[in-house]
Formats: sequence, structure tokens, C-alpha cells
Amino acid sequence: MKLAPQSVPYRALQKVSGFVVIAFFIVNSNDWGLPAAAAAGGAILLVALAYEVAYYRRFAYELTADTLDISSGVISRREREIPYRRIQNVDVSQSVIQRAITIAAVDLETAGGSSTEGSIRFVKPDEATRIRREVQRRKSGSSAGEGGAVDGTADVRETAAADRDAVGPEEEELFAISPGELALVGALSFDGRLIGLLAFLSSGSVPVLSGFIPEASAVALTATAIVAVGGLFLVSWVLGAGVAFSNYYGFRLSRAGDELRYERGLFRRYSGSIPTEKVQTLTVSDNPAKRALGYASLSIETAGYAPGQSGDGGSQAAVPIATTDRVYRLAHEVESFGTPTFSRPPKRIRWRYVVRYAMVVAVLVGVAFAVDWYVTPDLPWYGPAVLLLAVPPAAHLKWKHRGYWLGDDHLLTRNGFWSRTVTVVPYYRIQTVIDSRTIFQRRWDVATVVADTAGSSSLAGTSAAAVDFELDEAIELRETLQERLQSSLASHRDRRDRFEWFEGGVDETVEPNRDADAADAADAADADADADVDNVDIADAEDPTEPADTGSAVGATDPAESADAAGIPDADRGRERTEAPVDDGAASEDVDDADTDHPDDAHTDDAEDAHTDDETGTEIPDDGVIRPDFSTSDRDYSEPAERIDTGDYAVDRFPSDADVARRDDGPEAETDDSAESDDSAESDDSAESDDSAESDDSAESDDSAESDDETDETEK
Amino acid sequence: MTTQSLHPRVQVVWVLRAVIVAAVLSLPFAGAFYLGRLPRWAPAAAGGAFLTLGVVHAVLKYRRWSYEIREDALYLDRGVITQVRTTVPLVRIQHVDSRRGPVERGVGLASCVVYTAGSRGADVRIPGLTPGGASDLREELKRLAIRADGEDAV
Repeated sequence: MKLAPQSVPYRALQKVSGFVVIAFFIVNSNDWGLPAAAAAGGAILLVALAYEVAYYRRFAYELTADTLDISSGVISRREREIPYRRIQNVDVSQSVIQRAITIAAVDLETAGGSSTEGSIRFVKPDEATRIRREVQRRKSGSSAGEGGAVDGTADVRETAAADRDAVGPEEEELFAISPGELALVGALSFDGRLIGLLAFLSSGSVPVLSGFIPEASAVALTATAIVAVGGLFLVSWVLGAGVAFSNYYGFRLSRAGDELRYERGLFRRYSGSIPTEKVQTLTVSDNPAKRALGYASLSIETAGYAPGQSGDGGSQAAVPIATTDRVYRLAHEVESFGTPTFSRPPKRIRWRYVVRYAMVVAVLVGVAFAVDWYVTPDLPWYGPAVLLLAVPPAAHLKWKHRGYWLGDDHLLTRNGFWSRTVTVVPYYRIQTVIDSRTIFQRRWDVATVVADTAGSSSLAGTSAAAVDFELDEAIELRETLQERLQSSLASHRDRRDRFEWFEGGVDETVEPNRDADAADAADAADADADADVDNVDIADAEDPTEPADTGSAVGATDPAESADAAGIPDADRGRERTEAPVDDGAASEDVDDADTDHPDDAHTDDAEDAHTDDETGTEIPDDGVIRPDFSTSDRDYSEPAERIDTGDYAVDRFPSDADVARRDDGPEAETDDSAESDDSAESDDSAESDDSAESDDSAESDDSAESDDETDETEK
Repeated sequence: MTTQSLHPRVQVVWVLRAVIVAAVLSLPFAGAFYLGRLPRWAPAAAGGAFLTLGVVHAVLKYRRWSYEIREDALYLDRGVITQVRTTVPLVRIQHVDSRRGPVERGVGLASCVVYTAGSRGADVRIPGLTPGGASDLREELKRLAIRADGEDAV
């Protein structure tokens, strides 16, 4: 797929506009006249346009069965494949100009790397929506095992969801900002950084202004200073309010299936999706003003954003403000963590905070004294000492707001005496557990336990930390977290593994719907791709059950054979057994069923499998699950690998992944499936032919397989 | 695997580092002496003090440092001023490096770095290994990480 054609002039202008203006001024000031300036600007613009045209021609993206492929680059070229299941979130943004010329920027984030991994600039808005939807749909298709549908009813629901999704996703609104809340966001978003910036900017004018104030009295100076500072506050407040207002205008958070969608922005529209399974942490924060009014804010972290990226510290889907209980309801929608009851650090730790804050005050007094001693000897340098009064309440609040709670599936921590933050970390998301004791903490016999996640805000210091807990408690907490992480991993794995056995059933029911939907929803090229996906799906889904099927089918017909079937080490042979009758007896069936649908698959895979399976000799254990072989090979890696001639196919002799091992004989499953009825009908026949094959050596059975192929081909 | 301590020679690496740090820290004193603000012994005394601190720190650090590979996680216990114990679940390991800096090569040591997707403990370094030991540890961790199912790495 290509970018939108409008993006060429837009990108060109965007890149050179600043440069052109500067160049224009430089040329103009050298009084070479306007024509020269215009010519220079035009030349630069032309070069940029040429580059962008080349970029446009080179840039192509494609939604394949399980990856998003982007090939780009004019001078150095790059081909990038992003697996759908690795995509953390998809963001779409449109500035005012972009909206005017109907283009949108799409950013796809994965967990690795320091920048956005897939950035598509720019496509038409509906194409952007389509990318977002397709990515989500295919992701849930390719990792259906993680969906969490375990029992039959859930399967049905999932099927229905997938069905709807292709037509038009059904969204359940979680949160929409009301005008009152928006006004509150503006009023409460006082940005301290802006003051700093404005003070810095305006300080440049002080020397200039001081020339105009000839003989200012101290009173007048102080008055001006107060007014200036007040003005500064007011301006930064208004600016902050304006920025927050335009950022969160029309904020909407909704849930569609297993993903969260958000959109917001007045001038620049942001929208995007976050799969709920990729949510790393939730953070609920408030400050005294919000607490007094009964409000709080919520942010949702994923591993997608690099620290410092995209302005708001990464979290695009932050609910700026809502009443506290609503925030908790929303948080429960995303991660249901129950009602927390925080346990606090020991009370004696308050003395530590008293000492700490007292030291801060002492330092302030010291600084004031130094300034006083150095500049004018009249100021009351002991003024900051008044702050000592605030020390005990601050220490108490700090202690009061600290805490942690171990839920069924989540760790909650709470920190901060001024702006209070509650961090929710699912055990399943914990990356490392760190407990540390600084030299000061050791004096009080306390320790800090940090549960690190892959979320992006952790760098800013808001990772889940249980600070200043008793040593024993901290060590116990660390052990507990480690244990619960392991058990959550085990349960996730369990669910996934169990699900694979159901997958066949689910996909069978999904199958026809999906095909139909794809055909009418997407364009022709896409429908092709979809058909591919479905083929793979069905193969994947069915192969785990395949060996069991053949085994049982044969076993049912011939009791004597059943023991044999279980003991047969070769999957291939088991399959040949079922195929043999198809090829031998029912040539007509063969043609009408399997081969009309997938003429190529049946042949090529047959041939390939005859090779690979015989060589590797994949054994099927009693439970029918092929597990990867983790025994270390004694291969010398400085030597090149021994070559195996597999014809045109790349074959992994020692698949490191159980899925791969199963997938090897995947497409066969279809023949199996279709031939199942034949199988039972001609079981006698097959048993007979198989017996003979069994008694002979393997070379002959190979031969027979090949001859079958040949007959197949001649039939064609 | 029982608790492992580092190779004693790693102290040489840390002491060398302490020497460099001490030299840098005593530079201002040397400058002040050069400008005639401080007596002759001041830079030497400062350098000596920093060096002593550095050496003591290095020795204590060596004594404190230990690591252990348990069934499902890598445990590290280290730190002199701030004592830190880190648990890295083997499932979370993204990749493992073994590396040798110039000083490490000089004393015939190597170190092993374990990376996770986390933000704070994103890379965990185990210094003071013999080159063979570092490669072995790397291979061992790799094997354990694969066994632990990389599907859950993030």
C-alpha cells in the first residue's frame, strides 16, 4: 500500500519551511534583492519536493498474514517487518493542517527500541482507521491463545465478537469528558515548568528595563517584582489551562473487545488503541486541590513508548480528571484489582521524615543566611525557619500516604505526600524485583522494595515502590512478589496451552464468517491476503488434534492396531496411513474434496514432509504434545552447519519451538479433515495396506508415498 | 546452584578505578596548590584520603557481591552504601551479553550483562568472572531463559 499523495507536498513544506524562511532572511539582508531570495527558496523547495517524491515512491507498507511490512528509504533502504502480536499500541494523530488536507499520521509502537518502530506518514484518515482495525483484528487472530476464552460460552462470545469486529467494532464507552471536567482540568493544570521558562525568557529583559528605571525606590522595586511574579503565575496558569484544554478537548475512552480506544484534542486530534493485554501499569494520582474536590486522574502505561517520547510522558490514554470513585471504576474496568487496604510503614519512620524535612529547612535557612551575609545585612535570614512548623504534618502525611497492598493478581503501592500516586502492577507484568537499603534506611532497619515493569513512566521515578518497610517485611514482600509472578506466569501458560486444544473448534465456526466478511469489507487485494490468513489458521488450529485423530480413528476400527498406533514413532507414517486409502481407492473423492481447494498444498507438502519427517523422526509422546528439544547440541559453532538438501524449502532440522514442529505437518490436516469420512468408510482397506507397509522397511513406505504423489500428478 | 562470589581479582579492577577517581577528585586541590592557595601536602593528603576510601569501598564491595541462579530467577546481592538485592525472573531475560573491557582484559577477567525489558533494572551486570566463566554463564542463562518460555518476556 502507498501513502496518500497529498503527503508529498505537505512533508516537503514541513521539512523546509523553517529553512526557507531563514534562508530568505539571510539572502534578503545581504541585499541581493528579492528575486535571488525567492530563487534560493524555490530551489530548496524543489530539492525537498524531489526527495519527497522519491520517498513517496519508495515507501510501501503491507498487511501480511502475521506481520506488518514497511519498506522505505531513499538513500539507505530499509525493510521492516513488525509481527502483529508484538505491537503494543497504535496511535493516529492529525494536526489542524493535516485535517484540512485529510491526512493522518499512524505510529505503531513495540516494546523494544528507543523510537517509534512503525511510523507511517501520512495516509488518508479512513486508511489510518483501517490499519488500526486490521492490526487489531489480525493480532487477535494470530494470538487467539491469549484471548482468555476457556470454556464453551466464552468461545461463542469470542466468535461473535470476531464476527462483529470485521464489520464494525462495537464500542463500549468507558469515559467521556464533560465540559465541567474539562474546565476543571484547565483550572487545575498549573504547570510549574512554564513559570521557569517564562522567568528565564523575561529575565533577559531585566537589564534592558533597568536602564529605563532611573531612581527606583526599594518599595517601588518590590512592588514591581510582586506584580511581575504575579503576572508570571497568571500567564503560565492561563497558558497551562489553554494547553490542557486543547489537549483534552473531547476526550473519550472506550473499550472495543479486548482493546481500549481513546481520542482527544481540539486542534490536533489524537486517537489510538491499546490492547488490554499489553497494559503494564495503571497509575491513579491526585494532589491536594484534586483531593479536596474529590477528583483524581488515571494513566495507563504500556511498554510501547520510549521514555520522554510524545510529550505527556508516554501515556496517551490518560484520563485527565474524574471523580475519585469513577477513576477507580475505570481502573477496575481495565484491571480488576479489588478493594485495596494499604498497609503502612512502621510509625517510627515518621521521625525519619521529620529529620529529613528539618534538614531541608536547615539548608534553606543556611542559604538565606549566606545570601544575607553576602549581599545586604538587613534581611531576616531566619525567615525560612517558619517552615519548621510545617515539618511534623508533612512527615505525618508522607507516612500516611505510603503503603502497599497485595491483591489477588495485583500489587498496589501508594506514595507521595503532596501529590499522591497509587500504582497498580499486575504480578504478571513484573520484570524485576529490587529491594534496597540505603545507609540511612539501615539505621532505621527499613528497606524499599521496587517492582519494576516495562512501563515507560518508571524512569520518571513513579514505578511501584513500597518504601520504608521493616526489613523482614520487605524481604518477605520480595519473595512473595517473586512467587506470585511465577504462579501468574504458570496460570497464563496453562490457559494458553489449554486453549490451543480448543482453537480448532473456534476457528471452524469463525471460518465462514470471516471469509465472507473479509470479502465484502476489504478490497480485493486484501481479501486475497485474508484467505491466506485463514488457510494458515485452519492448518494451525487443526494440527495439534491431528495425530490424536488419526490414532483414534485407526484404533477404533482395528483394536489390534491401536497399540501399534500409539507406539508409532513417526507422525508421517500415521498420516500416510490415512492418506493411502484416499489415493488408492477413492480417486474421485480426492479430486472433488481436498485437491480442488488446495491443489498445490497437498502435493508440495506431501513431498516435503516425506523428506523432513523421516529424517528428524519426530516422536509423539503419549499425551500427543510435541515438546521442543532443549538438550544442548555438541555442535561446534565455529564450523559451518552441515547442509541438508531440502530442495526449494528451508527446513529447520531442530525446531526450537513446539509450534514449528506441529506446523510442519499443518496443511496435511485439511486433507485429513476432509478425508475423515473416507477414512472410516475404508478403514478395512487402509488397515490392510498399512500392515503391509509396516512390515516392510521404511524405504519402501517412502517409495509408496512418492508413487502416490506421482499418481496424484498424473491424475491432474 | 549455590551462592557464587566474584573472582578476587575483580578488586584490582575496582582499585584501579578508585585510583582514577581519586586522581580526578584531587585535581582541584592540585590546582589550588599550583595557585598557591594550599600548602604542598594538601593535594597528596586529599588524593590519599580519596584513594583509601576507594580501596576500602572496593574491598567491601567485593565481599558484599554475590549472585545465584535459582530455579526460576537470578538473584544478585550487592552494594556497600546502598545495599541492593535484585531478583531477575528468568522468563524476563531479553538477551545476555558477555563482555570484556580493556581493564578487565588486562587482569584476565570478563563480565556478563543480563538485559530485561524493565526500565529500572533493565541491565544487570555481573562483573568479576573468568572469560570462560562469563561465556558459560551466558550460555547457561540463555538456556534457562529459553526453557522459561520467552512468550512472556514483556
